[in-house]
Amino acid sequence: MGKLILKVEDLYYIYGNGKSALDGVSVDIYEGEKIAVIGSNGSGKSTFFLNVDGVLTPEHGKIIYRDTVINKKNLNELRKNIGIVFQDADNQIIASTVRAEVAFGPMNLKLPKEEVLKRVEEALTYMNISELKDRPPHYLSGGEKKRVSIADIIAMKSEIIIFDEPTAALDPLNAQILEKVLLKLGCEGKTMLISTHDVDFAYRWAERVLVFCEGKIIADGTPLKIFQNKEILKQANLKQPTMLEVYELLVEKHLLEDTKVYPKSTQEFKKILEK
Amino acid sequence: MERIIILCAIFLMSVFFFKWKHRDGYTNGDGTHHHKIRHKHGEGSLIDFYAYASKIRHWNATFKVSLSILILILCIVFDNPYVSVVIIIAMAYLTVVKGELSVTEYLSILAIPIAFILLGTFTIAIDFSKQPMGQYNQYLGLGYVFTSQAKLKNVFFLILKVFAAISALQMMTLSTPSSEIIYVLRKAHVPKLIVELMSLIYRYIFILMDVYTKMKNSAKSRQGYCDFKTSCYTFGNIASNMLVISLKKANAYYDAMEARCYDGDLIFLEEDKKVETIQIVTAVAFIIFLTLLWIFT
Repeated sequence: MGKLILKVEDLYYIYGNGKSALDGVSVDIYEGEKIAVIGSNGSGKSTFFLNVDGVLTPEHGKIIYRDTVINKKNLNELRKNIGIVFQDADNQIIASTVRAEVAFGPMNLKLPKEEVLKRVEEALTYMNISELKDRPPHYLSGGEKKRVSIADIIAMKSEIIIFDEPTAALDPLNAQILEKVLLKLGCEGKTMLISTHDVDFAYRWAERVLVFCEGKIIADGTPLKIFQNKEILKQANLKQPTMLEVYELLVEKHLLEDTKVYPKSTQEFKKILEK
Repeated sequence: MERIIILCAIFLMSVFFFKWKHRDGYTNGDGTHHHKIRHKHGEGSLIDFYAYASKIRHWNATFKVSLSILILILCIVFDNPYVSVVIIIAMAYLTVVKGELSVTEYLSILAIPIAFILLGTFTIAIDFSKQPMGQYNQYLGLGYVFTSQAKLKNVFFLILKVFAAISALQMMTLSTPSSEIIYVLRKAHVPKLIVELMSLIYRYIFILMDVYTKMKNSAKSRQGYCDFKTSCYTFGNIASNMLVISLKKANAYYDAMEARCYDGDLIFLEEDKKVETIQIVTAVAFIIFLTLLWIFT
C-alpha cells in the first residue's frame, strides 16, 4: 500500500432544499489505489466527489490532501491535483474546438503556452483522438465526447482522477476502449475513483470498493468481500456480479472444486474450467 | 449602365455553367447516392457546418476577417457599381472555387438576404401620387404608382452594393468558424466581457438546440403536435422546461469549470495559423485593383 494521499474526515453536506446528501463520510485513500464507488441513485456518490474536489463546500468535516488541511485559501491546490470526469460530457465541454477544450484545464493552471500545447498533444494521443482536434464539440458522437472529456483531465496531470459513471451511455466498444484507458492509467500509478452501477465492471477492475447508501459509506473493502456480503448488497440495492454468482452456484452444486480462487473475468473462468 | 448589365449577365452565365457542369458530374458518377448537407427537421440544424467544411478554413483567421471587413468598407465608401460587381464575383470565386462550397448551396444561402434586399429596395423604386407622372406609371384605383429610369438605375446600383457587402461578409462566415472569429475579436481588443459571452453563447446555442430537438421529438412521438391548439400548448411547455433545464445546466457547467481550476477568467488556447505571402499579395493587389477601378470609372 502506498502513502496516504487523501484523507476525508467526517464529511457532512446538506443541499439547499434541506435534504442531507452526505451524512458523516470518512475515508482514507492511498496512492495508486483503484477504487470503485457503488451505490444506488441518489446515495450521495456525485455529491461526495464534488466535495472532495472542492467544488461544493461541506457543512462540516475535513479534507486532508498530503498532510495539508484544505481550506478556502488552498482550494485550488486540491482542484489541481484531483480531476473529475463528469458523467455527462456535454456538461463538461465548454470550448468550441476539441483542442481548446483539452487546453482549458492547463490554461487555467497558468502554464506556459509551449507546455500547454505539449500536454494537449499528449492527452489527445493518449485518448487516440488526435484527428479530432480541430472539430467543434457539437459535431462529435457520444463516445468521442466522452474521450474528449477524459483527455481534458489527462492534460491536467492530476494525481487523483475521479470518473463519475464513465460507462453510462457508452456502447460496448467504447466501454472496452475506456477500460483499456483505465488499465493504462492504473499502470502509470494514478489513483482512481470510479462511481458505477456496473457491478461486473467494479468486481473486475477495482482493488477496493466503497458502498454508499443514503449519504453514508456502509462498507469498505475488497470487491470479493463486499460482493459476498449479501446483507450489504441488499441494503444498498445492488446485485452480485454475474461471474461471482455463477462461480458460487457451480461450487454449491459440486460441479467445481472450491479452491477459493475467484475468477474475475471470463478468461480467468475459462482457465479454471480447463484445469 | 449597359456595361454593368453585360458584366452581370456574364456572371450569371458563369454561375449557371458551373451549376450545369456540377450536375453533369453527379449524373456521370457511378450512380451512388450523394448525401447533401441540408436542413432537416427533427435533428437540429447545422449553422456553421459550411465553415468547418470549407477548404479555405486553414487560412489565417485574422487575414480572412480583416479582408472581408476591408472589402465591406471599400464597397460602401466607393459606392461604385463596377467595384460592387467585381467584389461579388471575387467573393463568389473565393467561396465556391477556393472554398469548394457547391454553387447550389452558395446560391441558396445568398437567397435569404436577396429576398430582404429586393423587398427593401422595391419600396425605394416606386412612389405614389394622385396625378400620372414619372416615366412609367400605373393606375391602381386609388392613385398612380410611378417610377423613372434614373430611379430604377439607382435601385439597381443599390442592390449591387448591398449584395457585394453581403457577399464579402458571407465569404467570412462561410470560411471561418465562429470560434476563430471570436479569437480575432479578442485580438482586436474587443472588451473581454463581450468576447467571453460570445464564446459561451456560441457553445450553448448548440446545447440548447440539442435539448430542444430532443424534447420536441419526444413530444412529437406522444402526439404533442397533433393539432394547432396542442402544438401551441406543447411549445409553451417546452419553452418553460427549457428555462429550468438551462438553469440546471448552468449550475452543472459551473461545477465542471470550477473542478478544472476556473477562477473567473475564461482563457482558451488559441493558435495563429500562418499567413502565406501569396495571399497577402493577392489581397493587396485586389484592393489596389478596386481602387483603380473606382478612380477610372
